[in-house]
Amino acid sequence: MTPDMFFLLSSVLFSIGLVGLVARKNLFVMYMSIELMLSSVNLLLATFSKVLGDASGSVIALLMIAVIAAEAALFLALIIHMYRSSRTLNSDHFDKLAEGK
Amino acid sequence: MIEQIVLALPMASVVIGAIVLMLLSKSKKFTLNKLNLLAVFFLSIPLIMQYFTLGNHAIPFLFPDVFGDSFILDDFSTIFDMMFTGGAILTLLVNNDYIKSRKYYSGEYFALILFSVFGMMMLSHAHELVSAFIALEIASLSVYTLAGYHKNNQVSSEAMMKYMVLGSMTGAFFMFGTALIYGAVGSTSLTQIALYTSSHTLDEMTLLIVGASFIMVTIMFKIGAVPFHSWVVDVYHGAPYPVTMFMASTFKIAIFAIALRLYLVNFAPINSFWTEILQVMTILTLLGGSWLAISQKLVKRMLAGSSIVHSGYLLIAISSIGLGSELAAPAIMFYLLAYFLSAVGSFGILSFIAVHSKKQMSYEDFKGFAERRPYMALMMSIFMLSLAGFPSTIGFLGKFYIFTAAIESGQILLAALGITTAFISVYYYFKLIAMMYFYPSQKSQKKFTVDISTALILVMALLVIWGGIGTSLIPFVPGADGFIDIAKQAVSSLK
Repeated sequence: MTPDMFFLLSSVLFSIGLVGLVARKNLFVMYMSIELMLSSVNLLLATFSKVLGDASGSVIALLMIAVIAAEAALFLALIIHMYRSSRTLNSDHFDKLAEGK
Repeated sequence: MIEQIVLALPMASVVIGAIVLMLLSKSKKFTLNKLNLLAVFFLSIPLIMQYFTLGNHAIPFLFPDVFGDSFILDDFSTIFDMMFTGGAILTLLVNNDYIKSRKYYSGEYFALILFSVFGMMMLSHAHELVSAFIALEIASLSVYTLAGYHKNNQVSSEAMMKYMVLGSMTGAFFMFGTALIYGAVGSTSLTQIALYTSSHTLDEMTLLIVGASFIMVTIMFKIGAVPFHSWVVDVYHGAPYPVTMFMASTFKIAIFAIALRLYLVNFAPINSFWTEILQVMTILTLLGGSWLAISQKLVKRMLAGSSIVHSGYLLIAISSIGLGSELAAPAIMFYLLAYFLSAVGSFGILSFIAVHSKKQMSYEDFKGFAERRPYMALMMSIFMLSLAGFPSTIGFLGKFYIFTAAIESGQILLAALGITTAFISVYYYFKLIAMMYFYPSQKSQKKFTVDISTALILVMALLVIWGGIGTSLIPFVPGADGFIDIAKQAVSSLK
């Protein structure tokens, strides 16, 4: 397989993540979309690492996994907290800060 | 070796302090007062050390045999470190009463503040895109948590949710840009990127330009420039007062630390690609921010809207950098200092007043404030005048340098628009002053209590005036000219 396909796959995954974040209402799906975006970055890094014959790209991908894990911890805590306080994860429900309230 | 450890001590002391505070936070012996003092102690070590290292940097990189050139040591990062630690100390001390008056504050609050200051310091020292990303995430994750600190209040949780969803998304953008730059250059070190950009023409660097534009999206989001501004007003409103103060003054400056480093050195050869994008964004930010600020009823939301306008002024100077203005970069640093002083002061007074009231402060609540608390009203007026850019305050000089830089680089239209929005801003700032002074008070006058909060706010107000009219007559204290000289020195250390 040529690296071009990997670049294409990575961009497609990133775009799916972005569209999912914008279009879906459920907080959990939004979180998964962000994870998809970050994972596509990892794929891109690994591909570049292979193409350039340089190990640092793969090392950066490993570092990224650690950062993603930290973000996941905070995100899951937030999702549980939001569900406990309002019994829903629909992001349309959270409009207390909207204009005029 | 010992020398290196001493150089690493400012950052190390903050992160050690954060861990110590996290361990102590569950102890019964330590009250919030003691923890606050301990946090201030751990933050004042770097502040004092950086003051003495300013101007004499013998070693360019921190631990070069371990980290390579990931962390740079120069005057630029030193000055930013002083602003971060100073901002955090002021946030902690001014809000001491506020923290004690609310039940939901616990020891972890101080640990989170210290962690985010550590992230910001790392960001200003970062000389490598991946460490910059990790630093940004450390600072952001702490600030997300702080924004939702009032966890039983749905407004606060909602602010955290909005901030975190959008912030993580832009974090992914930053990393995507970094990956593209890595593919083009073969390294994420800023030294290598600078070599690459200076040895290629604009047509050969398409991949790097795309990557750098992704990074620009993140930076614009974090400073709240207009196509990416939708979170600013809501998050500032939902977060507790001390956190809003911390975000508005300190966190915003941290983003400019990395932005200036990238635009001035590494991406300097491709700045011409962005000039028009930046100009359009500046116009949108100035007009959109003004509109947001005018239409608000709560003072906190008005200040949030006005912070978008201030980002707009800074964007004028950033696009002037691309057009070759020498004054633009020092002007940004001076403006950041001016905005820092005024924002800390005005948010400090807001949280000082909010200690005794449970609801959010609207304009109406300030009616007759001058009669109840004449000295506080005077200081609030000084900060408002400075934010509006009234002569004889530091805000005026900040705007003066920004507009000079814009005219120097031929952006007459942007300078004119900036001056127009400065006049518009008089409306929403002076509305508050009018509310304070032109209405009688229902309640009786309160005595001016001298404690640490009021004393620090007073010092801020004096600094705002001193930065506008100060002379260098007093030894060791820089006057108005001294500040811009320090800024020029810091910017020259970048190259």
